[in-house]
Amino acid sequence: MNLLRGLAVAGCCAALLCAQQFTFNLDHLAAKASDSVDISLNGPTLQFAAKFLDSKDPDQAKVKQLIAGLEGIYVKSFEFKSKGDWSDADLENIRKQLRTPEWSRIVGVHSAEDGETAEIYVRNQAGKVTGVAILAAEPTELTVVNIVGAVDLDSLATLGGHFGIPELSDQKDAGKQKGPGKQKGSGK
Amino acid sequence: MDWLDQELKLALERKEPSPDFAARVIRRAARGPAHHVQRWLAAAAAVVVMTSAGLSYRHHQGEVAKDQVMLAFKITAVKVNHIQTHVKGAVR
Repeated sequence: MNLLRGLAVAGCCAALLCAQQFTFNLDHLAAKASDSVDISLNGPTLQFAAKFLDSKDPDQAKVKQLIAGLEGIYVKSFEFKSKGDWSDADLENIRKQLRTPEWSRIVGVHSAEDGETAEIYVRNQAGKVTGVAILAAEPTELTVVNIVGAVDLDSLATLGGHFGIPELSDQKDAGKQKGPGKQKGSGK
Repeated sequence: MDWLDQELKLALERKEPSPDFAARVIRRAARGPAHHVQRWLAAAAAVVVMTSAGLSYRHHQGEVAKDQVMLAFKITAVKVNHIQTHVKGAVR
């Protein structure tokens, strides 16, 4: 009986890992979060959703172009009322899985002043990008994203200017404004 | 004549129908086609209702999936933009 249960759990984990490229292990934070987003979209669902995206809308057209070669997108985002609701161990659990030869960290940002950390990892297989992981943490916010498939990094980098996010060139003139991470709530 | 012949004779012997048989047949034949049309209409209506319900459910599922995709990319865009802002700020 225990063997069967073990096999079932292993099967579930394997199925999850087939979809996602690493496990988030963040479900325990959902109870503490004041606001949370949990999105799991596999390839067929993405392609199904693409049929409903309007090419005339600039944001939707951009997303339609981005999801063309994707096999899944998985997002977990939590907002907390107070600091210390998530721990470094939560992030470290994810980072551990990304310390493999396929994954490489292309950007790492840490602001001691704001207590912010943000990292972008890219998964390369046979010279091709097959996945992207984004970890972004603020004292009262934690977001993990896994985009699975042939991600066009250039398109991903030009997402600014869409979804009401000002383009980077516009931000230059705006001086030091509040981080776009804070804008998330306003766009919901 | 053995018992089998006897049984067959009994089973196959001509029996007259009841006196109102002809009237019943005529009555059924007269109202039959109308009943068939009603039945077909009901079946067609059921098919139309089920198909349109299926299509609208599928459309709803598509809209939900689209909203989720848009939200996922919005969150991603915000985070990527945030990182780019930090990197640009550090380079300058």
